[in-house]
Amino acid sequence: MAVQSIPVSRNISLRMVLACELVEVRPMTVMMRGFLQEQGVPEEEIQACELALAEAANNAIKYASAEAARKEIQVDVVCGLDQLELRVNDNTAGFEWPRQIELPVVDQETGRGLFLIQSLMDRVNYLRGSGQNCLVMKRKRSAFSHKIESEFQSESERRIAESEKVVRDMAEELSFCYESLSAIFRCSADLGKTNDLGDFARRLLTDLAQITSAEWFVFRMTSSAEQRLEVFASSDSSVLLPALSLAEGGAKSVEADAALAREDVWFDHLNPLKSGDPLAKIRPGSVGLVHPIFLGDSLIGTLTIAKTAGSGAFTAVQANVIHTFADFLAIQIVNSRYTDELVRSRLVSRELEIAKTIQRSLLPKTIPRLSGYGLAGFCESAHQVGGDFYDVIKINDDAILLIIADVMGKGIPAAMFAAILRSLLRAVPEWMNQPAALLGRVNRLLFEELSGVDMFITAQLVYVDSRARSLTAASAGHCPLLLALDEEGNVKALSPEGLPLGILPETTFSNQTEVLPKNCRILLYTDGLTEARNVSGEFFGQDRLVRWLRKSSQSKQPAEQLKDDLAAELIAFQSAASLSDDQTFLIMAE
Amino acid sequence: MKVQAQGETLNVSGIKELGAANSQVFRDQVKGAMNELHKNIEIDLSETMFVDSCGLGALISLHKTTCNRNGTVRLLNPTPPVQQILELTRMHRIFEIVNN
Repeated sequence: MAVQSIPVSRNISLRMVLACELVEVRPMTVMMRGFLQEQGVPEEEIQACELALAEAANNAIKYASAEAARKEIQVDVVCGLDQLELRVNDNTAGFEWPRQIELPVVDQETGRGLFLIQSLMDRVNYLRGSGQNCLVMKRKRSAFSHKIESEFQSESERRIAESEKVVRDMAEELSFCYESLSAIFRCSADLGKTNDLGDFARRLLTDLAQITSAEWFVFRMTSSAEQRLEVFASSDSSVLLPALSLAEGGAKSVEADAALAREDVWFDHLNPLKSGDPLAKIRPGSVGLVHPIFLGDSLIGTLTIAKTAGSGAFTAVQANVIHTFADFLAIQIVNSRYTDELVRSRLVSRELEIAKTIQRSLLPKTIPRLSGYGLAGFCESAHQVGGDFYDVIKINDDAILLIIADVMGKGIPAAMFAAILRSLLRAVPEWMNQPAALLGRVNRLLFEELSGVDMFITAQLVYVDSRARSLTAASAGHCPLLLALDEEGNVKALSPEGLPLGILPETTFSNQTEVLPKNCRILLYTDGLTEARNVSGEFFGQDRLVRWLRKSSQSKQPAEQLKDDLAAELIAFQSAASLSDDQTFLIMAE
Repeated sequence: MKVQAQGETLNVSGIKELGAANSQVFRDQVKGAMNELHKNIEIDLSETMFVDSCGLGALISLHKTTCNRNGTVRLLNPTPPVQQILELTRMHRIFEIVNN
């Protein structure tokens, strides 16, 4: 590269000649940098010239034909008092300088050179000759540096002025940080006092809008498995924005576009909001961006923030502040929702505890005795407690009523119905030897309440008369009563007809009477027993229950021991599998 | 130039300039250093005194590569001239620019 200084009146210039190779470009611009520094040109202006000159020289080299590439390229730099002028002579075929230069789409890798030249320089002329063209680029020198130049102030004063400018820029950035932080702290403190997350978001974003000179914002959050974006807070609540479905694709909404592309989408006069976009009706000609917010891989929401066209786009510092606020807000909301869920789940477990207490109180503290027979009951609650219970009511020395019931429903309501049923059954002692009639009566009394909450109860009543050696059973849709007839293991299942309580207002139940043979055993149970599953998902089943009863009738075990034996059998069967329903049974053994 | 892998991220540093003369080599070197683990690229621009439109092209090309892997390109501490060209060409809209 050859260098030549040409003295020009009041202007000082530099001529450089370089071979038509890209590697020549940087040394040439560095050379120009040194030259302009010597002339006291401020750094900012040098940078602009350096970049514009590099772009111009790159083009002159890249578009040179093989023949033109053998020729040298001449570059002139003229430093005047009020302007800098750069000239690049190329040997290409030349091109039509575009009337309007726009930035290519963001992900296009080329096509920014002319845009940069145009942006960095005040005037650009492309003079076309035959086989040789000249690009003339001029940039006015700032009044600031001009003043210094014209007044011949000392180098040290110039440096001080430059440092001051740097300090001003830093101060501006620091004040951004300070304002952001104090807004975040202020809103965080408020969050502790409010349950209204929408209000919290609106206040934080109003602060953000102030800090970034924005005019409006819309903050959406996802719902239903990240498929919908619903407005959570906006600067103008009078503008009603519809929820956006992400499943339909985001063709009409810049917010959905950003959420689906997982990156910021900016809009301005070159890429305006489409007319069908819900945001377009907020303020026409807005300039801004949509920032999709992610926590890990999952989409939390989007923040759109914008100003009017005249005020220019957000700067990089402002964009960073917007990102910080959006991410902070999302974390706060997700945390707060998580806390709500914790409270709710604590309430649910408290409710279950209450229900369990009610259920336990329904079981007889001591089981009445019936001469010649032993009685034992078992009731194990599942985690999601239901309304199982059993009861034994002594009618006289020779007669008792055995009750087992299963309220279909969970939690406190189920436990309450169990309590009501228990009281109703105990209320009319004179009906206890007629189980079917007693079931009809409680069904009439409970029907309206049960059907009002879509619940029903299965129940089984067994009247046992030890002196007559007979039993009379009635069932409201309950599982069969098992009666072990003898020591050979013959078992009979009794299923007297009847619908569960709460299905029909007027329904009849039938009594089934059986003789009590010697050494008989009676087993009343709820379907939690037969529907118990083992680890491989297999049911305990009625067959297994009958087999157990058959086997146990061959021994002469008392009721209490039979109860422990069946409970152990159930536990062994279920092993690691957790209890999915209450398991209740009542055994009577002679 | 130094390229170091750290988990899912490739850290690139020590770039003096990124212009027409070296942007193709830069792009090829970084892509060459990526293996299937790398989702993100962090480029330290604190020593980079000059970037031109060809340099930007190389950064955009890397951005596309990371996008295909659901990752990002982060530009760390760009010097003032580099920050200026990023803003002028609105590149701060697609790159995450981190100053600390």
